[in-house]
Amino acid sequence: MTVPRQSEAALPVFAQAVGKKYRRGWALRETSLVIPPNRVVALVGPNGAGKSTLMGLTTGMLRPTTGALTVFGDQPTGKGLHPAVSYLAQQKPLYRQFTVADTLTFGGRTNPSWDQGYAEHLVEQAAVPMNARVGTLSGGQRTRVALALALGKRPRLLLLDEPLADLDPLARETVLGALITEARAHGITVVLSSHVLAELEGVCDHLVLLHDGQVLLAGDVSRLSANGMSLGELALHHMRAAQQGVAA
Amino acid sequence: MIWASLRLQRLQLLTLLGTLVVGAGVIVLLRSNMIDALDSAQIAHCVRAADQCVAPDGAVKAFRTTWSTPFETAQLLIIGLPALIGVFIGAPLFALELEQGTHVLAFTQSVSRTRWMLSKLVVALVPALVVLVVLQHLVGWWLDAAGSLGPLYNGPFNRVNFAIQGVSPLGYALFAFALGTFLGALTRRTLAAMTAGLVAFVVVRFAVSGLVTGSVFAERRATAVGEVPEQRESGLVLTTGWLDASGQAVPSDRASVLNQACKTTPGGSPNTEEGYLACLRESGFAQNYWDVIPDSRAWQVHLVDVAVFGVLAVVLLAGTTWALRRQS
Repeated sequence: MTVPRQSEAALPVFAQAVGKKYRRGWALRETSLVIPPNRVVALVGPNGAGKSTLMGLTTGMLRPTTGALTVFGDQPTGKGLHPAVSYLAQQKPLYRQFTVADTLTFGGRTNPSWDQGYAEHLVEQAAVPMNARVGTLSGGQRTRVALALALGKRPRLLLLDEPLADLDPLARETVLGALITEARAHGITVVLSSHVLAELEGVCDHLVLLHDGQVLLAGDVSRLSANGMSLGELALHHMRAAQQGVAA
Repeated sequence: MIWASLRLQRLQLLTLLGTLVVGAGVIVLLRSNMIDALDSAQIAHCVRAADQCVAPDGAVKAFRTTWSTPFETAQLLIIGLPALIGVFIGAPLFALELEQGTHVLAFTQSVSRTRWMLSKLVVALVPALVVLVVLQHLVGWWLDAAGSLGPLYNGPFNRVNFAIQGVSPLGYALFAFALGTFLGALTRRTLAAMTAGLVAFVVVRFAVSGLVTGSVFAERRATAVGEVPEQRESGLVLTTGWLDASGQAVPSDRASVLNQACKTTPGGSPNTEEGYLACLRESGFAQNYWDVIPDSRAWQVHLVDVAVFGVLAVVLLAGTTWALRRQS
């Protein structure tokens, strides 16, 4: 693999013809993609479009079958996540037998860039009791704790796989609000994946539309919707076109 | 990371501590009760040589009957602990995390998978081994006090005695633990790893321990045909047979034919003792021999045993590392 040039090294994510094949077939076909810094990125596509695979490749949980991908200039390996990257998986894995305080201690013990005060502030803000066991928390509270763990690392890139999927509408709004406030305040690039574009419309300023393992559309929202078309319509339009292309 | 492993395995560590405290207490208590029983039955001096001591009628037999169950229970504990360590500590160690998806949490912090794995292995394995070795030596201390009135009467090569002495239990525990972790990392299913681990451990444990006793430490002893050997040293006799005049072992099939032939006279009647021995000498038998591993070399056999199971454990731990470090 070629060493990225200086400008590419600064990019949160830089993918060159990256592809991932599972036994059942290609989850992601040779995809080239740039995630620019300081954006809130909506990674949108129907179920099975390759969103989680792209996230997995970015975190190093998965290894690309073809091509290469760099995160702030480094190739993700199985040796732990890049210190500047946080990842929240779809299932929001947390140790159920830990208390919230234990969970934050775990974050501190496993991340050199940990900011305990900030993480505690986020938990307090969410009104989650510190000495409660994670297993006894509600879905919304768990997400807030998982988010505090991800943000406490002080990342420059935050990857969230379907973060809103198992939340009720009210919790969605508060979680998303808290997240965007923190991201804007600290200049964090956030990548949110979802199969429902509507819930991200209005908060994201960059869109990556995946369909059947390929990027249909990628770019800043201000540029994409220049002709006045709403983001939802635009995405639907592209996906319909892709579907018809497959059918024909 | 050590902190996280300690916190995650807190319940397990407390269970181990409880096992150690209760086990040690019970063993110390039983040992002192047993010594009292020996004294009150006036057989304390029989501990050295039960077969030759002068004791009140039936006292030795009564003692053995009363105490055989506690002895066997203690032996069973030391034989069973390695399997329990493998099933309840080794198998769930990684399988549970992989099953619940919490390995993703660990893998996406700024800690390498290898460090995560090593800290979990050390925190799980070291306390378990300490508990096993301490209990093993306490049981040994108790059985020593019973001497030849207890199970030690059967010698260090008795299967049960061998399994609970020397470094062997350590080797079995290492192997069981490594087997459990490997199957757990491979199958990602706790229950499957526990079950398969137990079965595989029992099979390998018995298959391999048979091989080890037939090892290289045998010494050859021989006496001239017809000579009654002086007090044979105690040990594990592996083979017996005949040597010819040049000191070569006579093949066993030929030896048995000749031996059978010498038992009868040419006339067909049973041979006399002198006639039998003379016939043997004429047939070319010069000496009786037996290959024996003396009791004093038992520790060397234990070393071979621990080496075999240790190598298996290292291979399995390397397999665990491979299974955990591969990116899917």
